[in-house]
Amino acid sequence: MSISPDQTYLARTFDDGRYAWARRRPVRRRAVAAQIALFLALVVATLICAATTGWSTWFFLVWTAGMLGFIPLHSLLNLSIRGVFDRSSRSMDEHQQELRERSYVAVAWPAWGLNFTAFAGAVTLVALTDEIGLGLCLGFLLWMAAGLLAYWHLAWTAPDEPADADL
Amino acid sequence: MGRQPKSDADRVHDRIAVLRADRGVSRRELAEAVGVHPQTIGYVERGEYSPSLALALRIARFFGLPVEAIFSLDPLPSLSQELLRRTP
Repeated sequence: MSISPDQTYLARTFDDGRYAWARRRPVRRRAVAAQIALFLALVVATLICAATTGWSTWFFLVWTAGMLGFIPLHSLLNLSIRGVFDRSSRSMDEHQQELRERSYVAVAWPAWGLNFTAFAGAVTLVALTDEIGLGLCLGFLLWMAAGLLAYWHLAWTAPDEPADADL
Repeated sequence: MGRQPKSDADRVHDRIAVLRADRGVSRRELAEAVGVHPQTIGYVERGEYSPSLALALRIARFFGLPVEAIFSLDPLPSLSQELLRRTP
């Protein structure tokens, strides 16, 4: 019986040598910073919209652009950490599983806090403005950020990968 | 599962890089033989990851050596020093 991790299609994609540039520490950190900036911008836009015009066309356009921008940013972030949060455990070796567990544990409390803030923030926004749509948007953003905390932690803290495997 | 050492005192020292060079084995070949990713072998060699007992035993079996000849809690002396010490 083989002891090697299963080489699923997803695992092969994340391990593809063509994406080695994405795994360098500066690229990983820039991807994290860009994603955090995007989320902050969307949260601020939601709050401004709630405080001024209410649900509007410009907010819908900003939200759509932000969500579309999230797709390539998250792909880059996933490539930079070999997709360890999106792959099955059997496609990873013990070190990759350890990295994943370490980040989950490190952000457990902040993620809990962000999830609570998502619920409390959404309820408060609706109570203050009667804007159910904006309340849902705020809650969704913070809930999504809570889920992404582990990705951000690993991409920010993972050590540089050793040089060429064929050496 | 292994873990990342929290301090220098917690680190597991090893001779994998020397043994690989001696046997002409690449990280990728060793990784395939012991069932891990090639990067993991690199992390173990750099002391940034302490392997599980099962992985340490598989590496020892691959090189045909006792596990304590490859891994140690104390810094390992170089092989040349060991040879000099054993030469009468």
